Amino acid sequence: MSIEVKNLVKVFGDKKVIDDVSFKVNDGETLAIVGFSGSGKSTILKLISGLLEKDSGEIITSKGDIAMVFQYSALFDSLNVADNIAFALHERRDLRKKFTEDEIKEIVKQKLELVGLKGIEKLFPSELSGGMQKRVSFARAIVTEPNTILYDEPTAGLDPISSTLIENYIVRLKEETNAASIVVTHQMSTITRTADRVVMLYNGKIVYEGTPSDMLKQDNEYTKQFVTASLEGPMKMMEGN
Amino acid sequence: MGTLQKYFKQSATYKIFTGVYDTFYDFVDTLGKITQNGIQLIKALIKGGIDRKELIYQCSRFGVSSLPITLTIVGMTSVIVASQVALEMVKQGGGNFIGMMMSILIVREVAVIMSGFAIISMIGSSIASEIATMRVTEQIDAIRVLKVDPVSYLFVPRVLSGIIMMPFVTIIAAAVGVLAGAVTSDLFAGLSYRAYFDSAWLGIYMKDLWVSLLKAVFFGGTIALISCSCGYYASGGAKGVGLATTKAVVWSFVAIVVWDMIFAVAFFF
Repeated sequence: MSIEVKNLVKVFGDKKVIDDVSFKVNDGETLAIVGFSGSGKSTILKLISGLLEKDSGEIITSKGDIAMVFQYSALFDSLNVADNIAFALHERRDLRKKFTEDEIKEIVKQKLELVGLKGIEKLFPSELSGGMQKRVSFARAIVTEPNTILYDEPTAGLDPISSTLIENYIVRLKEETNAASIVVTHQMSTITRTADRVVMLYNGKIVYEGTPSDMLKQDNEYTKQFVTASLEGPMKMMEGN
Repeated sequence: MGTLQKYFKQSATYKIFTGVYDTFYDFVDTLGKITQNGIQLIKALIKGGIDRKELIYQCSRFGVSSLPITLTIVGMTSVIVASQVALEMVKQGGGNFIGMMMSILIVREVAVIMSGFAIISMIGSSIASEIATMRVTEQIDAIRVLKVDPVSYLFVPRVLSGIIMMPFVTIIAAAVGVLAGAVTSDLFAGLSYRAYFDSAWLGIYMKDLWVSLLKAVFFGGTIALISCSCGYYASGGAKGVGLATTKAVVWSFVAIVVWDMIFAVAFFF
């Protein structure tokens, strides 16, 4: 077991955004969390990563680092690619003196190669395409050898070919690191290409849990509506969603 | 909702009271957050491990980049004051006191407070908008997920640079201000440089200098801490960045005037 979430609850104001959610993700497994905008998907990632405090429930993770890949990459725009990737190695108290500058350079190079990039160490994030920024953020996330990787809509806003490339790297990182991964996404291609299991959220509750292939069978009213992108079904879009 | 309650909520009285409440709440909330960040900053400083490269960069930004505008503002303020009073004082037979008056005014107040204002407008606003942008683009969340303390990484070099550089800026600004006063007094009232500087030295005591430098330390630290805090708690998008920057500038202005008043009462009353 790498991540176990038990009866998780998160309330914003008087709205229960996460309502008694439980699931497990094992090492080397990828779970996709899907659902409409505002269904609480990204909130779960923020709770697991510690960016938000839970109101009740339990989040049990194995010892080790949790990495997160943000929706819009969240690269540090005042630092070049190399410094972005090496950020934790330079700034974290427990890692600061662990590596020499030459070792850090080598680690940066290795991580960049792992995401199919080479020779861009000196470039700044603003000089990279959206897909390249995503891949650099992957490299930054895995620099501390995490045993849990969280992806917040990794293919949002990318063209189909860049999306496929990113999906391939999600699979590759899982194989290379044997990390437990959670991918929050709307995109069917990302679900089918990267996930071993799928959890669907609606109004903060899990309404479906199964494999991507079972999801496509459309036995469940919720997944059927999601897969067919229908306005008719149990999930009602609120204004503003 | 009852009709009475509906009319009450539309009334001017209700709006005035809720407006006052919201303003007071915001004031206490901001003060609390700045204090909390100040405590976290002290803890981070005690733990040590300051990023020297970043500290040098921030010192250069705080001290060197701000210098042209700071010297311009302090120099021009001195020119304005000297041009207003020099001729009148010479006419009244007080020409020998112009240097003294200018040096007291500049060393005790003008250099440090005008430098403070210039640094708020140039550096404080830039620190607040930079950190606010990092907040709304999730860069601060990324720092936290990478297990780096954002206060240690973002606040420490900026606040330390304010504390270190502000006294230097103040010393240079004071020198430029006194010199600008001498040139203006010569041009407007025909006062010789010798007469100006002879009385200028008489007006300044060591106490004036060290109180001015102590003020500069407090001003520099306060401006940087407030600017960092306001940026750190920004929310929303571009509007949030704008609001955080405005808040940083307003709070910094008010804070240094309050500090100035405290120093005036504590040391010269």
